[in-house]
Amino acid sequence: MNKFVISILGKDSPGIIAAVTRVFFEHDFTIEDVSQTMVQNQFSGIFIVSGPKLVSHDQLLEALQDNTTIFDLHFHIRDLDADDAVPTPGDCESFVITTRGPDRKGLVSRITAVFAAHHVNVTQLRAVFRGGETPENNFMIYEVDIPLSVDQKKLRQSLNARATELNLEISIQHKNIFEAMNRI
Amino acid sequence: MFTHREILSVLEMLRNEHLDLRTVTLGLSLLDCASDDIKRFQTKIYDRITKTAENLVAVCDLVGEKYGIPVVNKRISVSPIAVVAAPFGAEEMVAIAHTLDEAAKAIGVDFLGGFSALVEKGTARGDRALIEALPEALASTSRVCASINVATTRAGINIDAVLLMGQQIKQAALLTADRDGIGCAKLCVFANIPQDVPFMAGAYLGVGEPDAVINVGVSGPGVVKKAIDRMVADHPDANLGQITELIKRTAYKVTRVGELIGREVADILGIPFGVVDLSLAPTPNVGDSVGEIFQSLGLRSIGVPGTTVALAMLNDAVKKGGAFASSNVGGLSGAFIPVSEDLNISQSAENGFLSLEKLEAMTSVCSVGLDMVAIPGDTTAETLAAIIADEMAIGVINKKTTAARIIPVPGKQAGERAFFGGLLGESVILQVNNARGDNPFIRRGGLIPAPIHSLTN
Repeated sequence: MNKFVISILGKDSPGIIAAVTRVFFEHDFTIEDVSQTMVQNQFSGIFIVSGPKLVSHDQLLEALQDNTTIFDLHFHIRDLDADDAVPTPGDCESFVITTRGPDRKGLVSRITAVFAAHHVNVTQLRAVFRGGETPENNFMIYEVDIPLSVDQKKLRQSLNARATELNLEISIQHKNIFEAMNRI
Repeated sequence: MFTHREILSVLEMLRNEHLDLRTVTLGLSLLDCASDDIKRFQTKIYDRITKTAENLVAVCDLVGEKYGIPVVNKRISVSPIAVVAAPFGAEEMVAIAHTLDEAAKAIGVDFLGGFSALVEKGTARGDRALIEALPEALASTSRVCASINVATTRAGINIDAVLLMGQQIKQAALLTADRDGIGCAKLCVFANIPQDVPFMAGAYLGVGEPDAVINVGVSGPGVVKKAIDRMVADHPDANLGQITELIKRTAYKVTRVGELIGREVADILGIPFGVVDLSLAPTPNVGDSVGEIFQSLGLRSIGVPGTTVALAMLNDAVKKGGAFASSNVGGLSGAFIPVSEDLNISQSAENGFLSLEKLEAMTSVCSVGLDMVAIPGDTTAETLAAIIADEMAIGVINKKTTAARIIPVPGKQAGERAFFGGLLGESVILQVNNARGDNPFIRRGGLIPAPIHSLTN
């Protein structure tokens, strides 16, 4: 069995997913996992697929390119080990960290540098620019996994200090609070 | 994965709408501390409180930080002292109040409730001693809160006790005359007192409760007000059915906060979780007011015609949202209307929109009673008792809790201002009919029997 991870990038348009998944179907590939998102008008998708050994990496890529010419998509494909187990999350707690304040260059890089130094893994990252005439209403939302071994007090101190340097308000909250308040 | 709306709406509630966990109250049974040796008794209760509650404040702060939601107050409620300390006299009861005050101070809680007696059907020896001790105990402590239950729907109204409370409230005010009678702000007279209220000054731990229990009080009048404001801005023609649905949903969210944090605090402390009390409890800050909700609903001010029905609607919607959010809803759960503690309500009283009589009418549809109401200092004990008795009747007949926390402000007249400071706020002194007159009706005393439970018209 062959297993590939394929990323797809291009301007969004109706029919992209239909065209791509048709190629998988016609080559007898199964979609094991998929995630797709839109940023402004740009489509991005990541597929993990598995299928017959006789269809190679290059053949599948060629078929994808040939069948999606009208969309002008960029593909990137890599081999995965067929036995690669789905990773299980380690002993982590999930938090939502939100920064609020004027946008500036290097903001995400300087906040995530603190995460990296504390072995905190970002699982979702979103920008919400609601500022308009009030630039302080720009939010960056980081959903993160914090290993249990991390000293949360020190992490909080580092993040608070970094946020102050960047003139940002920061809030660090366990994800359960959002779960409790928003979901039944 | 959450939507950004879900995340930002929670942040907005915390940042601009005063969402917080108003109190985590550790209920603590002192029944097994009973002794007829006062020193031994004082040592036992002090040790019990300070050992069991040793980590209460630190754990609440830790859990609050984890969720980014401040736990504003940490408090203790204990078994009714009139029961636990029944062998003692009034002087010793004052000494016990001092011990409770010291224990509260040692563990860093701002209030400890349970200097209480249950006298709805009659007054026992310990009850008499505690009631006698009230003025001195309240004047000479800063953290001890007292509550006296003088009526229940099943027992009726103990008018003798009501009369006595009229006198003791006057006395408590006189002993704290230099602070506008603040002693009375820590004393509630109840009908149908719940055993698990986490809010002060009425918190005590009922005798039907376990050794220790964590009860949580959630507030959030600002969250409800802002939700209504947003709905009205987006849909100016929203009707009251739609608005009650919105209040219900908002109450649901706020209650869930209490449940989540309360359970975690209880788990860490190894103490069972009791109830969430979702009450819209205001503070004297703009944006944290129950009174402002009435203006958002379209009334000129709390107190004008339409207020009682609006309060009934608000109170019911809050209860429904809370009951859906948690299977452990208890305490008072509804809307509080403490006059001095709510900037908007005290302004309405000052502007003449809100009278004592209108407040009394409102208490028939909300969760408490005449709360933090400042009245002229020369109001007689009989008139004070009669006001309390009226309030008790509303609770007894409607099978609900009502309470009276009234402050006859020494040396001040209607229209002047009383200042209590901090969370207790300040207020104009309300006019009382027949304030200085006598009241032979109340003076008759006795027990008004429990009401009939059929023919309910």
